[in-house]
Amino acid sequence: METARSGHGRLIHKTDLGLALIVLALCGALWYATAKFDEVPAVLQQGVLPTDFPRLVIAVIALLALLLPFEHLAHARRGSNIDEERSVKVKPISMVTALVLIGLVAIMIPFGMYPTMVLAAAVMPLLWGERRFGRLALYVLLFPLVVLLLFEQGLKVNLPPGVFGDLLG
Amino acid sequence: MEAVFSGIALILEPFNLALIFVGVLIGVLVGVLPGLSSAMAVALLLPFTIGLEPVPAIAMMAALYCAGTFGGSITAILINTPGAPPAIATALDGYPLAQRGEAGRALGIAAVASVMGGLFSLVVFILAAPALAAIALQFRPQEYFALTLFGLSMLATISGKSSLRNLIAGALGVLVSTIGVHMSTGVERFTFGLSGLYEGISFVPVLIGLFAIGELLNQSQTLDKTVERIKSVAVRLPSREDFRRVRGTILRSSGIGTFIGILPAEGSTVAAIIGYNEAKRWSRNKEEFGKGSIEGIAGPEAANNAATGGAMVPTLALGIPGSGTTAIILAALIMHGFRPGPYLVRETPEFIYAIFTAMLVANFLFLGIGLAGAKIFSRITLIPRTFLWPSVFVFSMVGAYAYAQTPFDVWVMLISGIVGFVMLRHGFGPAPFVMGLILGRLVEETWSQSMVIMDGNWWGFLESPIVLLFLGLTVISLFWPLITEHVPKLFRSRRGAEAGSP
Repeated sequence: METARSGHGRLIHKTDLGLALIVLALCGALWYATAKFDEVPAVLQQGVLPTDFPRLVIAVIALLALLLPFEHLAHARRGSNIDEERSVKVKPISMVTALVLIGLVAIMIPFGMYPTMVLAAAVMPLLWGERRFGRLALYVLLFPLVVLLLFEQGLKVNLPPGVFGDLLG
Repeated sequence: MEAVFSGIALILEPFNLALIFVGVLIGVLVGVLPGLSSAMAVALLLPFTIGLEPVPAIAMMAALYCAGTFGGSITAILINTPGAPPAIATALDGYPLAQRGEAGRALGIAAVASVMGGLFSLVVFILAAPALAAIALQFRPQEYFALTLFGLSMLATISGKSSLRNLIAGALGVLVSTIGVHMSTGVERFTFGLSGLYEGISFVPVLIGLFAIGELLNQSQTLDKTVERIKSVAVRLPSREDFRRVRGTILRSSGIGTFIGILPAEGSTVAAIIGYNEAKRWSRNKEEFGKGSIEGIAGPEAANNAATGGAMVPTLALGIPGSGTTAIILAALIMHGFRPGPYLVRETPEFIYAIFTAMLVANFLFLGIGLAGAKIFSRITLIPRTFLWPSVFVFSMVGAYAYAQTPFDVWVMLISGIVGFVMLRHGFGPAPFVMGLILGRLVEETWSQSMVIMDGNWWGFLESPIVLLFLGLTVISLFWPLITEHVPKLFRSRRGAEAGSP
């Protein structure tokens, strides 16, 4: 089943064809975006225009992307499997972790950096299966505090105070 | 000579020495811990160096880079899990030797070979960097443009599964570097109305995201796998007999590693693999390889550490990164207001000598730390992943924010990490992307200047022999994977035909 999926023995690799189409669509969208760049005043129109370089790079990416669906043939000749990394599906825990990270960053400004760090220190170990609650409590208490002191006192970085910081003045 | 002394004096200040010590300590730590790489550690260290003077900041990163490369060998030897990619080849013979109950001997060989490789490359670095910079001072934008193109084309030959994907990732990095207001016309490019993008994408959050968050998500895929714990072990220096056996290998691999490090974009991993292969090719005891050969440990270790000094040569003298980690060091130099390249070497030679001294000190420090502290470092793997990676996320979040103190950068960091994770699954590595991101501005700038000088005439590029040389090298490196695959076959078939003919 994996052999069929990886496109072994076929001219075109299905997954890489999809990947190439995504890259080409992205290139198309970005090329369109270059057409929407502001007009350059006539006095500045010498040498390379602001659209020239991005368009050149987009064209290079598009050309290279066209080769993607056929790359597996070269790998097959060398006896290597192009699908090794992606043959393992993205696990639900990875997706949940990504969502938790997005959530944590989203609350950073309204809640403040310190509460977000505390929340991250508590939620992520639990999510990843940590059940030694004594150690976890110690970690949640100490680690964010050390990071806060290091950045605010040591490096003089003003971290976002958030609503709790504002309340505490 | 005055520059040499002031460079050395800068590093020998107690505060700077302490920072180098910290850099070495962090380097060995991240090297020991599988998943954490020196590139990630240097990226995470960037925000901490904001308040530092440029010399100690870069010295600390360079020290971390050296030590991280060595640190990877500890886990490679003890648990067959290379702590860092450059230690992959070390595991091939280091682990079998450890299984025979000679882990201390294997670690001792690795430490000494690493230090000797590092010292060899530093001698080359201090001789080659000023010489290379003196040559590069003669370069006009046309030559620089061709040189940066060559640097980008080398992405086709660096380690990784696919040359094609490396090139696409590099080109995507170049494209991302065009985001923001175009310098000479003031035209906004790909800003999509977001004010945070007017000045372009900052290197720091992108680097942190790609190397730290990308790896964090990667680690979440392996939570069900149990990590082997390292047993405490006493490291011992190689005996006279062992040293006699490996000294030729160390010297050869040091030369190989330094040369590969100097090549733009190449890094320690490629150096280590070639160092291992050459050690085997030249060995009188080929049959021992894979079963615990000490030459099989010395070869890759000398080569991968030699590549660190070598990689600093194009980074500082030309402004072209010699590896993924030096690309981040290059970003740090830019962040600290330097323009890496020949003018850096000419205007502030004491800076180059300071970095040389820092790396020299780092090499001796990690020898001491590696030998004396191996027992302690062997316990580092006891840190549970359930606490380690949340800590990496907290540092990433605070670090990305601290650079410009804007929440926008934290989002950039997170998006870079998630995109990097997806890209990595499809074979697009973070290092080529970072190379493209950092070299992109230089490519566009030199191309633009060249076109103005040549009055828009493309053929003008072909009038310079240096440009022609670099363009030739660019074509060779782009087609290198095809050349290495087909040319030997061609020779073999010709030889076969000759042998068959009467």
